[in-house]
Amino acid sequence: MTRAFAMIMAGGPSEDLSVLTEVRSEPAVPFGGKFRLIDFPLSNCVNSDIYNVAVLTQYKPRSLNDHIEIGKPWDLDRASGGVRLLQPYRGGPYGDWQRGTADAVRRNLDFVQLQSEEHVLILAGDHIYLMDYRPMLRQHLQTKADLTVAVRRVNLYETHRFGIVSVGSEQRIADFQEKPKRTRETLASMGIYIFRKQALIDILQDTDYVDFGKDVLPAMLKGSGEVYAYPFPGYWADVGTVQAYWEANMSLLSESPALDLYDPEWVVHTRSQERAPSKIGPNAHVEGNLLSNGCRVYGEVQRSVLSPGVYVAEGAIVRDSVILNDTSIEAGAVVDRCIIDKGVTVRAGAKVGDGDDNTPNTDMPEQINTGLTLAGKGCVIPEDMVVGRNVVIHPFCGEEAFGKRKKVASGKSIGKNLR
Amino acid sequence: MTKTIAMILAGGEGTRLTVLSEARAKPAVPFAGKFRIIDFALSNCVNSGIYTAGVLTQYRPHSLNDHIGIGKPWDLDRSRGGVRLLQPYQQRKGQHWYAGTADAIVQNMEFVWDNRADTALILSGDHIYKMDYAPMLQYHWETGADLTIAVMPVPLEETDRFGIMQVDEEQRIVAFYEKPKERDKGNLASMGIYVFNASTMEKRLREGSADTPRVDFGKHVIPAMIAAGDRVFAYRFEGYWVDVGTVDSYWATNLELLQPEPTLDLYTDNWPIHTRSEERPAAKIGPQSKVVSSMISNGCVIRGTVINSVLSPGVYVSPGAVVQDSVVMNDAWIGPGVHVHKAVIDKQVMVGAGTVLGTGDESVANMQMPDRLFAGITVVGKGAVIPDGAHIGRNVLINSGRDESAFPNDRIVADGQTI
Repeated sequence: MTRAFAMIMAGGPSEDLSVLTEVRSEPAVPFGGKFRLIDFPLSNCVNSDIYNVAVLTQYKPRSLNDHIEIGKPWDLDRASGGVRLLQPYRGGPYGDWQRGTADAVRRNLDFVQLQSEEHVLILAGDHIYLMDYRPMLRQHLQTKADLTVAVRRVNLYETHRFGIVSVGSEQRIADFQEKPKRTRETLASMGIYIFRKQALIDILQDTDYVDFGKDVLPAMLKGSGEVYAYPFPGYWADVGTVQAYWEANMSLLSESPALDLYDPEWVVHTRSQERAPSKIGPNAHVEGNLLSNGCRVYGEVQRSVLSPGVYVAEGAIVRDSVILNDTSIEAGAVVDRCIIDKGVTVRAGAKVGDGDDNTPNTDMPEQINTGLTLAGKGCVIPEDMVVGRNVVIHPFCGEEAFGKRKKVASGKSIGKNLR
Repeated sequence: MTKTIAMILAGGEGTRLTVLSEARAKPAVPFAGKFRIIDFALSNCVNSGIYTAGVLTQYRPHSLNDHIGIGKPWDLDRSRGGVRLLQPYQQRKGQHWYAGTADAIVQNMEFVWDNRADTALILSGDHIYKMDYAPMLQYHWETGADLTIAVMPVPLEETDRFGIMQVDEEQRIVAFYEKPKERDKGNLASMGIYVFNASTMEKRLREGSADTPRVDFGKHVIPAMIAAGDRVFAYRFEGYWVDVGTVDSYWATNLELLQPEPTLDLYTDNWPIHTRSEERPAAKIGPQSKVVSSMISNGCVIRGTVINSVLSPGVYVSPGAVVQDSVVMNDAWIGPGVHVHKAVIDKQVMVGAGTVLGTGDESVANMQMPDRLFAGITVVGKGAVIPDGAHIGRNVLINSGRDESAFPNDRIVADGQTI
């Protein structure tokens, strides 16, 4: 009998992912060809024998709902437990929209109360990692902790991006700093928590804490709670920015990637689309790629990750890019260092990701400045159009959105932000 | 209101496919990478709106049972109707295996009546084609036929492989010859697709006795119905239809899919072929690899060269290996430096480093099966382990599960040999 159930946070707007999250929530963003980010926590749960899982949604959940449905691919379509989608609702005791992760759980405290398991595993829906939660749960039970936080070592120069913990004897957490400017500690919280159920209820009921990292964890440390760290040595990536998302995809192309998707002992389950095998044409040139089923490649594809159903015409070139489902790259087009969302048409002769001008995107200079060009879902890039770097083409832009121009300079945006 | 039930005959041995159908029934033989042959009949049924189907098994059904399961991939897991596997069973009055196609049906007439069907669509589980059965059923009801047979013209020199018929101007069948030796009977061939009025069918099947056998549809039932004056009509079908009877045609039918625009379109039309998709990540094409004119399924890892071949899920091609003009099934492992040419390699085969497979004289037919293996194709059965540095000729048959000890000391297997 498993002693914990899981709650996966899947409601955030994740603005840093630009066009990818304009049409869907971050956990529903495709990854590694045929997966979506939420597949990782969901698969980790079932592979760790946790068959009672709630997914908390708020921001643009439709794509996520379609993906999870009744949980069939994860064997979570069950009579007892299984997967449940928890939407925001009106009429509860705590007001309307959820303001953060802890607030989202607070709105569902009645659900937490009702579960028969005594411990709650809180997970993020947008992290990529393969982790057995059972040893962490075992430690949590042995130490009789109120809260156990999974932590990992990060580089000193990265500590400002994470919640950093200091650990005393026997993995007990002594101190916590949220995104510290300067610190000597390098143990970062992974946003994975196991709470004793009653401790979770006590800390959320009748308080106003919004976020687990910012509010709840410091409050637990200040109070009389027993808080422990659980070090996790494996691969873990938070793909919260377009650069991190692109890098995580590209890292799968190495000879033996840190993230092993081919391990039969730890299968990442997903809703597989029904597609024929990928087909590679007589004059095609494919090197260093991931190709999903249903792809048809007649041109050149190098160091790229292609989702199901992508079409690359003869004479087209795709390099160092992530191309999502059913996008079609027509003859003579060149796609270089791009993230192209689903159902995009790159017309013949277009050049996307062109030149060396690395002017950051004018709307999102902080987030889009590494030379990646993004094309949103369903847009059409006109024939012979030249698109520079750090360009954002918002979803569903037709050819008319480009007007009379023949070139889109680096750093520009096309179309309307759908957020 | 009429109701149609599909009865899919899946019990035959398919001996001409040699080792491919040794451990599995012919309908369960993999095809086009991720499909199995029976997927076509099952998908045609559901795409035609027929959601009640019986699959009649007899020979080595395990692989087929696993594949069909409760029919989920075809949406045939239903509370009313759905798919049912019908195995031979014992009765009070003796016990007998299915003696032939018609005998298998008559032993399961109760299944037809339990589903309250009045029209029976009899299909073969080992044909590859896309067909909408709805117009054929419409035609059957409009003509008030007792039996409608789908027909297509075949080359005159192949008429001895088929049931050949002659029709009058109303398409009513006046004469039927099962596999005629003479070439003068016309070229209108039965596709083994029959629509029966269920009660007439039962009446004719129950007439069977030692003198008037009703064991096989082509040999006994159809001629008897024509002789008795039943209304038997032909329905002309135009389109792709293949009975992959031999290793040669199995190999050729697979490789035909690699044409730029094959007759059998698995990618773009709205007649999806459903199958039980294995859960595998996208195919990985290594930086040092070369892949042209091929179909690569999910879960494959390619580090060598693949030319003009069809690879099922999970095939590993080592660096320096070359696979050309071949069909390679699930999870086969092709070692470093291996050369494979014109071969059909079954699941989980291991080809040791440096082995050359498929080299030599194509005209030397297999000694044991000169009538089945003569076109230069070498066949390796499921799970065979071929030692390092072996030299294997053409038309060679390596039986399933053979390992190094079965090979000669010098590891040279001449053309036409069998291991």
